[in-house]
Amino acid sequence: MAGNMKVDRFCGNCGSHNLYEYPLRMFCSTRFDKGKNPIVETLWCCDDWNEVSQECYCVREASRLKKRNHSRR
Amino acid sequence: MRREDFLKNPVEHVKIGSSMTIDELMRQFRGSGSFGAGRLAAACDTYEKMLRDPECTIFLALSGAVVPAGLRTLVKDLLRSKLVDVIVCTGASMVHDAIEAVGGRHYRGDWLVNDGELYKYHIFRIYDIFVPEEDFVRLDYRLSGIYDEIAADRRGGSLGSNEFAWELGKRLKDSDSILRVAYEEEVPIFMPAVRDSEFGFIHWLHSSQQRDKEILLVDAFKDVPTICGIFGASPKNGMVVIGGGVPRNAVQSAAIASKKGLDYAIVVTTDHPEAGGLSGSTLKETVSWGKVKGDADKVMVNGDATMIFPLITASVIERLGVDFKRIPYLKRVKSSGRSVD
Repeated sequence: MAGNMKVDRFCGNCGSHNLYEYPLRMFCSTRFDKGKNPIVETLWCCDDWNEVSQECYCVREASRLKKRNHSRR
Repeated sequence: MRREDFLKNPVEHVKIGSSMTIDELMRQFRGSGSFGAGRLAAACDTYEKMLRDPECTIFLALSGAVVPAGLRTLVKDLLRSKLVDVIVCTGASMVHDAIEAVGGRHYRGDWLVNDGELYKYHIFRIYDIFVPEEDFVRLDYRLSGIYDEIAADRRGGSLGSNEFAWELGKRLKDSDSILRVAYEEEVPIFMPAVRDSEFGFIHWLHSSQQRDKEILLVDAFKDVPTICGIFGASPKNGMVVIGGGVPRNAVQSAAIASKKGLDYAIVVTTDHPEAGGLSGSTLKETVSWGKVKGDADKVMVNGDATMIFPLITASVIERLGVDFKRIPYLKRVKSSGRSVD
């Protein structure tokens, strides 16, 4: 993230994330490298989290979608 | 030359009809013979001559985003109809094909768009075409598994880029895929700069995971004797170049190395010669190297290949007619049992 603002840590704002099914599921290159299942939830997080170099909409869009899905129930 | 020799061919003015076919339009362009229209008409004539020449092997050199721009089916159909014998292309061209082969798509977009916004949505732009990042990622994931399979089959042995392309084509089930059809029709696809594409990064993924398993080895140097062998075995050779760059250079270099020189050449490019780059270099210049023969049938068409290449192929296919059947020279020789070495 730009600047020193403290951010909530999610797969969707981690430097290892790539899209798999926008916006809810991501492909994690770090997990792939370790031989683990690389498909992760956007709003999940693990100890390997690292800062992303440029901000994107993944967390925002996944949170919105999750909120919308909850409110429909 | 005498003065009257310069004034033999008056410009015929283009006449447009309401039910005109593409080839009829190209013939009108031939009559005008001027500027881009004249060159386009000449390119149609040259491609027709290549196809009707029973001794000619035809190389298609592809660079640029031909597949994203909608020419995937056209190229695939040329292979299926045996109107092209060898493809030499960038790795990216076949990456784009493979993306669609595993279910991805390219989307019509706009070049007047906020690219920062696209970045945040993980959408990549190729001028006015959009590609979602997940289509690349799914390809990476799928192909890294295919790389594992190929490496296990080869047990440490290396492949030329053409062998690699067929190994991919064998494993892609999409019947519209260029890679798949090339494998089925035994059309070699050479990718001399294969590492400079997503194929290279997929290799990184594959090799980072392998631990003590076999690693896929693609050796582009192995291509050299193979492509030169094709040139050498063919009495005549022709090239159709879309763009230029490494693919055009690879074809022309093989023409020199095999001491054959090209008999036919069509180049479609937006580049110009003044900067000294290969993509814009004139076919006249290639004669100085021996890449193209001095008396070759050759033409350069300056313009956007997404318009020009379909026009050339549509015109020529119309001329050839539905009954035209071409058996490539090297396939005829092979089926007759004669050696092509």
